[in-house]
Amino acid sequence: MMNFLVFCCVVLPFIVGLTLYCVQNSSLRAMLVPTAVVVMALAAIGLGAGGPFHMEASQLFGLPTDAVFTLLDFLLLLYILVLGWNLRSRLVMGMTALQLIGMAYLKSVLMAHDIPVTGFAPDGLSLIMVIIICVVGGLITIYGLGYMDLHEEHLHLRTSRQPRFFAIIFCFLGAMNGLVLCNNMSWMFFFWEVTTLCSFFLIGHDGTEEASKNAFRALWMNVLGGLAFVSAMLFIQKSMGTLSTEVILQKMAALDIKSTAMLLPFAFLCLAAFTKSAQVPFESWLCGAMVAPTPVSALLHSATMVKAGTYLLLRMAPAFAGTTMSTIVALFGAFTFVGTCMLAVSQSNAKKILAYSTIANLGLIITCVGINTAASMVAATMIIVYHSVSKGLLFMCVGTIEQRIGSRDIEDMRGLYGVMPRTATITAIGIFTMLLPPFGMLIGKWMAIEAIARAAQAMTPILFFIALGSAFTVFFWARWAGILISSPSLYEYPVKGFQKPTVIFSLRMLCCVALLFSFISPVVLKDFVGPSVEGVYARFNLRVEGFIPGANFTSVEGYSWIYLLFIMLALGVWFAWRMSRKVPEKAHALPYFSGLAAREGDEVGFRGPMNVFEPARVSNYYLTQYFGEEKVTHAIDVISIAFLIVLVGGLL
Amino acid sequence: MGFVENMIKKSRLKSPWIVHFDCGSCNGCDIEVLACLTPMYDVERFGVVNTGNPKHADVLLVTGTVNHRNRHVLKQIYEQMPEPKAVVSIGACNLSGGVFKDSYNILNGAHTVIPVDVFVPGCPPKPEAIIDGVVTALNALAAKMGLGPAPGAALMPGDEDAPKAAAVG
Amino acid sequence: MLSILGALGGVILAPLAGGLLSGVDRRLTARLQSRMGPPLLQPFFDIFKLFGKAPQATNAWLVFSAYIYLLASAFALFIFFMGGDLLLLFFVLTIGAVFQVVGAICVPSPFSQIGAQRELMLMVAYEPILILVFVGFAMCTGSFSIADVFKLNTPLLLKMPLLFLALGYALTIKLRKSPFDFSASHHGHQELVRGVQTEYSGPFLALIEIGHWLDLVLILGLCALFWHTSVIGMVLLVAASLFTEILIDNITARLTWQWMVQKQSLLVGMGLALVNLLWLYVA
Repeated sequence: MMNFLVFCCVVLPFIVGLTLYCVQNSSLRAMLVPTAVVVMALAAIGLGAGGPFHMEASQLFGLPTDAVFTLLDFLLLLYILVLGWNLRSRLVMGMTALQLIGMAYLKSVLMAHDIPVTGFAPDGLSLIMVIIICVVGGLITIYGLGYMDLHEEHLHLRTSRQPRFFAIIFCFLGAMNGLVLCNNMSWMFFFWEVTTLCSFFLIGHDGTEEASKNAFRALWMNVLGGLAFVSAMLFIQKSMGTLSTEVILQKMAALDIKSTAMLLPFAFLCLAAFTKSAQVPFESWLCGAMVAPTPVSALLHSATMVKAGTYLLLRMAPAFAGTTMSTIVALFGAFTFVGTCMLAVSQSNAKKILAYSTIANLGLIITCVGINTAASMVAATMIIVYHSVSKGLLFMCVGTIEQRIGSRDIEDMRGLYGVMPRTATITAIGIFTMLLPPFGMLIGKWMAIEAIARAAQAMTPILFFIALGSAFTVFFWARWAGILISSPSLYEYPVKGFQKPTVIFSLRMLCCVALLFSFISPVVLKDFVGPSVEGVYARFNLRVEGFIPGANFTSVEGYSWIYLLFIMLALGVWFAWRMSRKVPEKAHALPYFSGLAAREGDEVGFRGPMNVFEPARVSNYYLTQYFGEEKVTHAIDVISIAFLIVLVGGLL
Repeated sequence: MGFVENMIKKSRLKSPWIVHFDCGSCNGCDIEVLACLTPMYDVERFGVVNTGNPKHADVLLVTGTVNHRNRHVLKQIYEQMPEPKAVVSIGACNLSGGVFKDSYNILNGAHTVIPVDVFVPGCPPKPEAIIDGVVTALNALAAKMGLGPAPGAALMPGDEDAPKAAAVG
Repeated sequence: MLSILGALGGVILAPLAGGLLSGVDRRLTARLQSRMGPPLLQPFFDIFKLFGKAPQATNAWLVFSAYIYLLASAFALFIFFMGGDLLLLFFVLTIGAVFQVVGAICVPSPFSQIGAQRELMLMVAYEPILILVFVGFAMCTGSFSIADVFKLNTPLLLKMPLLFLALGYALTIKLRKSPFDFSASHHGHQELVRGVQTEYSGPFLALIEIGHWLDLVLILGLCALFWHTSVIGMVLLVAASLFTEILIDNITARLTWQWMVQKQSLLVGMGLALVNLLWLYVA
């Protein structure tokens, strides 16, 4: 049974992708995509319901899986090498060649006679990730159906490139599932590189000059991460004699004193994770990724790609618990958090705001990983889960808005409530789920702050960064929410028939998932996240410092607070809504404008000289003189590179 | 609910927030209006707060000559005040156009644009007269709510052609 | 059960206390300016009058935001009286603040929109301070629960005097007092007409005002926690904080936001908080 479910999650997407690529028929695609998504989602939920398991998977279609993966590893690296040649990039070619040499050395010398490794050994965390990938990623794929139709209409393409697009997306999902499920690091590396390659193709999908440039940037940064991954594998195989994640963690956790030589590969893994999770100074590839069609950005930012990095860190965290390296990782994450929150304040491009906010939240997750206590792990997992849902929703909303009003600038979204009230409201809800309690993200943040406050090391500077960053977070979210629902009329009514049904379906569905998931957050915490972390701590005999993860929260009292808050707010929102709908139409008044207010269409302004209507234009504070990209990015890069040098170099 | 309604009625007379609009006076009247807020007169004793926003105000104080350009402004400011509200017209220019009366660009008084409850003549009127005007406006408000008689008109000699409303001074 | 009823009672009584404090504030301010000042109950007259005004709104979201703001403030106060979690309290306070901003931005009026932007600046200034103060509590008591403060034997003021000063900054900002009142100043003053509150009128303005009173009670309550061991101490501390706030309000000019965010709040406030936290950490 497990075999079949894992097959559905990992291999099936590749098969579906291949089929979609070969069959160019659009009506078949419209049927196959939702079916495949549903199958994957069901399989993922089935896996999740079954709990952690071990699976050998020594054979795939009758072939020895290990050999298949070795072959695929080499083919993939060779392909990237060729790609580097085509792109005329010595950087990519050089790094890929190094990876090839490393892999060859690893496979031929170090692993010449190796004991077989358990193929799949997912723990709670992996299963949570699989569900997120399949459900959120699946919804984004369905959204892509409607979105890509309109997108290609706008581009006036003669032949549709959708088969290629969806093929890559399915491969991407399959690779992500494989990445989080498998136990053997060399398999993991294959999936890791597949996500790199897929993101390269997807970012460059539109084929414009900018798209190619940004895709190339994503490629070289992630190939650098791949190089770090290979180096880590070399060191690990050399020092521990195995590439099984479970065994590595057990060996590392059993060590009382972790020597620098033992920690070095994990520093490399951190580096790999930082590139994949687009932490500073590698943030530019994720910001550049927004040139791609919206489903791609939604995928990259929410369920897949960037979460691969944080997953790897979370998985490997027990290996470096309680070391100085861990503290440096935490400081680095906190620094990323505050730095990118500042950058987000200076942006008016909605996708860029979302991008920086993603990086910031990943920074927060990495901080939690660095704190490396049970409580912080729980917080990190919570943030991963809820961030995926909300961020996926927000990206889809921005894509929908962009297709309607032709801009992704938040200044252009003033009065959006009058144009598309429902989408505007859903976007605002998405923002509130990112920003306000009692939604899941905030509960994650709440636990993160608690965990940091209880941490033993470097608590004060980390806390300072997090407190400052949180304030900036409010700054850039709140103003956007306000803009979205702004309108000069008392009430607005939706106009029908503008959006594709798949787009409407995915938006509403994910919005409901975001709300519902937040509502059951104590259950998610108690039944999934908590046991997953406890399982890790039990398996590796780690010490839980006096503080049970989420104790404040999963206790009866904690439950009742969350639910009380939820019910109070739900009632309050309902009541406030009712009251605001009761204001009679005749009570409508133009805003105060020194007695000169006038309205033309949806614009409010004043009667200027010669009785001419002058629309009033107000813009947000972006504080570019302080937080502008050109002012801050350089400094952030320098500091973060210093962090990385300390991280890796400190161990050498 | 009797208590709340009584409190609301009572409070209306105890918390007159004013908004002051200058239609283009020589600033004599405006200085006198602002003088009311100083420690010497301290109108906050009566709960008066000088707001800058018709949406928050109960009493509109108008000064200066109303002309064709600013009558729309005056009208909108009046309309943006939520009910119940009262208007106090202050100074000769605002009452009738004053020395500019019957000029080609002048309207002869704010009462030609909005309904005025109290006229405070003078060039400029003393702060005491303005305070008295606001208090009289409150009585006019009370009368509108059926809480007492409307304040009687106290006309100046020679003002027989003035509009029918209370005048103070 | 009894504690829940007590807390609910507290939330219901809090507007009375808040209104009275506001009345004291106005009267004291008047005396500091050698004026007579309004009657002590003037804030209540104002509120009742506002409730009696005809509703007027540009946008239904404005009304929505006013209700949510009041609700969030009330719930934050409820958490406080229940001795709940400080971080939860902080986040619930954020709901109120965010909806005040949302309500101001959703109306296309330059005054309220600029007010909202400035309000966001204020939030950037006071939110980190509040978090650091709460962490200070946690370091002293070992948990974020307010109830645990009362298990300590010594007043917190002795352990975190600098954090108390830093809280003073947050207090001034939250109370919209000079020199930090550039997003919307309170009665009798004007800045950007009335900043974030420009577009609220009548009953909706009354809701905002009551929410403000609740915030006042909550923040003075937080000040009182610094001397939880004696009731007299609490009263003294609250009275002293309030009087200092009013004094500062009357003797300082309004600052620009650059001054406020960069120099006053971030450097001085956060600096004080950080020094105190390091001290707690070492001690």
